[in-house]
Amino acid sequence: MAVSSGNPTPGSQTSLREANRARIVASLKRHGHLTQVELAGSTGLSPATVSNIVKELAASGVLNTAVTSRSGRRATEVTLARQLGLVAGLHFSSRHLRVAISDVGRTIVVENHVPLALDHRHDRELDRAALLLSDMLESVNASFDDLLAVGMAVPVPIDSRNGMVATPGLLRGWENVPIAESLRTRIEVPVFVDNEANLGGLAEVRFGAARGADVAAYIEVGHSISAGLLIDGALFRGVTGKAGQIGHVTIDENGPICRCGGRGCLDTLASGPALLELFRDDPGMQRMSDLLVMAEAGDASARRVIADAGRHIGTAAASLCNLFDPQLLVLGGELSQAGETLLAPLRHALERSALAGRDGVPEVVQGELGDRAELLGCLALAIENVGVGTDVGTTYRP
Amino acid sequence: MNYRSPIPARTRTRTTDHVLELRGISKRFGAVRALSEVDLDVYGGEVVAIVGDNGAGKSTLVKILSGVHPQDSGTIKFEGTAVSIPTPTAARDLGIETVYQDLSLCDNLDVVSNLWLGRELRTGGRLDEVEMEQRSWMLLRELSARIPSVRVPVAALSGGQRQTVAIARSLIGNPRVVILDEPTAALGVAQTAEVLNLIERLRERGLGVILISHNIADVLAVADRVVVLRLGRNGGEFRVADTTSEMIIAAITGASDLAARRGPTPLRSA
Repeated sequence: MAVSSGNPTPGSQTSLREANRARIVASLKRHGHLTQVELAGSTGLSPATVSNIVKELAASGVLNTAVTSRSGRRATEVTLARQLGLVAGLHFSSRHLRVAISDVGRTIVVENHVPLALDHRHDRELDRAALLLSDMLESVNASFDDLLAVGMAVPVPIDSRNGMVATPGLLRGWENVPIAESLRTRIEVPVFVDNEANLGGLAEVRFGAARGADVAAYIEVGHSISAGLLIDGALFRGVTGKAGQIGHVTIDENGPICRCGGRGCLDTLASGPALLELFRDDPGMQRMSDLLVMAEAGDASARRVIADAGRHIGTAAASLCNLFDPQLLVLGGELSQAGETLLAPLRHALERSALAGRDGVPEVVQGELGDRAELLGCLALAIENVGVGTDVGTTYRP
Repeated sequence: MNYRSPIPARTRTRTTDHVLELRGISKRFGAVRALSEVDLDVYGGEVVAIVGDNGAGKSTLVKILSGVHPQDSGTIKFEGTAVSIPTPTAARDLGIETVYQDLSLCDNLDVVSNLWLGRELRTGGRLDEVEMEQRSWMLLRELSARIPSVRVPVAALSGGQRQTVAIARSLIGNPRVVILDEPTAALGVAQTAEVLNLIERLRERGLGVILISHNIADVLAVADRVVVLRLGRNGGEFRVADTTSEMIIAAITGASDLAARRGPTPLRSA
């Protein structure tokens, strides 16, 4: 996008101007449409600065302006300019729903987030998603008619033959329903569903840390652990969509019983709930974010627990490397924000158990797209599936 | 009383700080026993939901905490010291703010006036509108609130935005505990999402949040602990991480009175 081009000297007039432009665009993404006066308020910039930047961005085609009225006065309403046709991305993770609507040139025009209950169910959540989408479309003066496709991520493997959850027990409220079909009947827009790690991987290989890698794996470590396998920039899903589910690699034969029915799976030792369970008596440790904050503040037990998780993931990743032989492992998901606290022990375990080649073991890096990787993957999946026959499917803005 | 920037989430120390500790709270209205021997704990950086049927004593408990009427017996400790809360002003001075269901906003005033109502900033006898507006924006931005303008009358805002303003107003006095009474009742899907996100922001600021709600799905989405009241008594306490909506509903209706005792999850049952 035009706002983040170049790399000006920090602190210079140019970089300040660029930061201000980015602020205005970010504010519009949150609100959908705003008047210039409202933009000044919500960004903290002076009205004159806002007016100048809006004029400049409108001229370069980033923003659209229209005359409207607020409290009886003339005002200029500003929206992000979009190309014809929109797509939506829905990322259902275990505790969150993230929604974004973008144009087919991947410019996100509006974005939202909802916390979810732990064992959410498909009927209630799909109803809610449909309402939320219609609200968000309305905020950018669009309707379902403008929506070309929806890409959707769920935290379980999806059997591509029937579009249902591939393994029972992992997400009980979503089993035995054709998920994409179920949402399609609600909104009458084509819907495409995949596993969240697959879509996170797709985003990282297209726009993030794995760009240019021929063979890479994206490991998502959050409420559960799974991996997306990428060959030449495309996903490898296996026959029933279960490829890359390293959360269910056995680490300890006699370990705790897993949701999947196995014992001692990686998930039971290194997933978010398993780590938090170790702090059961501490009322200040209820969420992954608490654990990350404590670790960053230097709390020894929090760091140790994250390091141990890294070690377990490294052991499982070593098996993955021996079977799949990727050149790069990208770590994503909430726990990956712990950075080297997680990655260093992970690398160590990987080096111990993976077959070393001439250049050692595959490189392990943190994802570049953070907690929005999966959402961007949803949008990419939707854009990919916008009908090839329609002329908008091929447009692209750098 | 002025709004200061709170402790940033990053430097938050381990939140074992016990902000509120209620023990054996009882309250009678004539012949009606509204609460008997109720216990409640709230820690900083934690969302505690209080759920229960109509008449279970939720509102009475909130009113005791916000100083509307004092308890008949039982003790309240605030940050470790025993306190009495005889008036709403006393509650506010301690650092307990309550956002009621009706929000108590002045519809004809704009967002800034509502936020600072009753504690306006002054410079030399005049209202310091500029400072108040700047601090309002700062607060709303910290809460990632979706309010397009702070100079529109509150009547022109949506339900979710009004709730946001009411919650933001409760933060002006820098409280330790915020009590939200049915914040998502009568809100649409997008507005509910807005309020739920806002509750997460309050939690990140290290505040203790008490959430009263009938909507179990909303409760399970944002709360860390759920306290069930039933007929004025503690009906069980659940960690959200290991509970289901069925278990909570069973505790609300009393279906689990026997089952809960041998079930693995209640931390404490009546």
